[in-house]
Amino acid sequence: MGFWEPLFFWIFAFGAIITSCAVIWMRNPLYCALALILDFFCFAGLYVLLSAHFLAVVQILVYGGAIMVLFLFIIMLLNLRERETLSIPFQVHGLAAVVGGVAMFFFAAVVILNTVDMDRVEEERARYAEAVEQAEEPVPLMTESAIEGLYADVNETAVEEQYVEKLRAWRDGTAKPSDGKYPQFDPQRPFELPPSLEPDPELAQVVPGREGLYGTFKPVSVMLVNRFVVPFELTAVLLLAAIIGAVILAKRRVA
Amino acid sequence: MSWEPTLAHFLILSAAVFSIGLVGVMIRRNAIILFMCIELMINSVNLTFIAFARYRFEMDGHVFAFFIMAVAAAEAAVALAIVIHVFRHKRGVSVDDMQALKY
Repeated sequence: MGFWEPLFFWIFAFGAIITSCAVIWMRNPLYCALALILDFFCFAGLYVLLSAHFLAVVQILVYGGAIMVLFLFIIMLLNLRERETLSIPFQVHGLAAVVGGVAMFFFAAVVILNTVDMDRVEEERARYAEAVEQAEEPVPLMTESAIEGLYADVNETAVEEQYVEKLRAWRDGTAKPSDGKYPQFDPQRPFELPPSLEPDPELAQVVPGREGLYGTFKPVSVMLVNRFVVPFELTAVLLLAAIIGAVILAKRRVA
Repeated sequence: MSWEPTLAHFLILSAAVFSIGLVGVMIRRNAIILFMCIELMINSVNLTFIAFARYRFEMDGHVFAFFIMAVAAAEAAVALAIVIHVFRHKRGVSVDDMQALKY
């Protein structure tokens, strides 16, 4: 942890809170939507600070891109009049809601502060930093599951070595035709990883605490097509159902 | 609270954004803004997942957050279709107009 990471954390944290407040206080829905876009960008920054790079990109693409375009499109399509965009005048109901929200935040904060052992957090962080400094091999990303067959134990170093070997075979001209662009199908490993770029040790040192593949595209996608393949496919079904439902709902008359 | 962010910082930030979204759901009347507040709450839950994933140095939380994003996208599509439908019938998107099932 240097100087910049905490600074960016506080910038993004206050940005997230301020833009969230703007979302619920602005009268014009258009301004609310624009504040929400800023909010999503702040969240993407926080994800990067948590080294969830893949999710930060997905956050910007899916939330900042797709969902917010949908929101803005609907707001502009409906062309809401000012009388409809006005929030309710101040009344007991709104006051009670605000008091309830603040109370909920304080309850949650008290629970968090009493549950999360701050000393333990510091200890773990120091221990991890030390392990990273002294480690010769990459810190393992995944542990093996007790259920056999459900979990592909991804040994990143072995995968890297395998591809380095393959690349070397290509370079030396000793590669067989079966080592072509796409490897032969192996029933034991149905989900082959694409050849990765050589890890650049200098680049890995630029951002402290960001070593290894943690949070990048590769481990997430490997988990998606191995251990979580059933929910992944079900998500596809869900999206199809949502498309059909949205079309039917928005159509003027279903034939 | 230290200057350097820890797990508790992220959790409290997430609780704050969740509470703001909750207040928004309760005080606003515009259906579109209600959905925006729900998106806020979903995002704060995502942040919690990712903070815990980073703390434990496991990546299951990332997959969970990914699925939550997919479900949120589907939900937004259907919800906005419902908003269009309501607007066509009531000429407005205020949730006060949607009380046909109340009586």
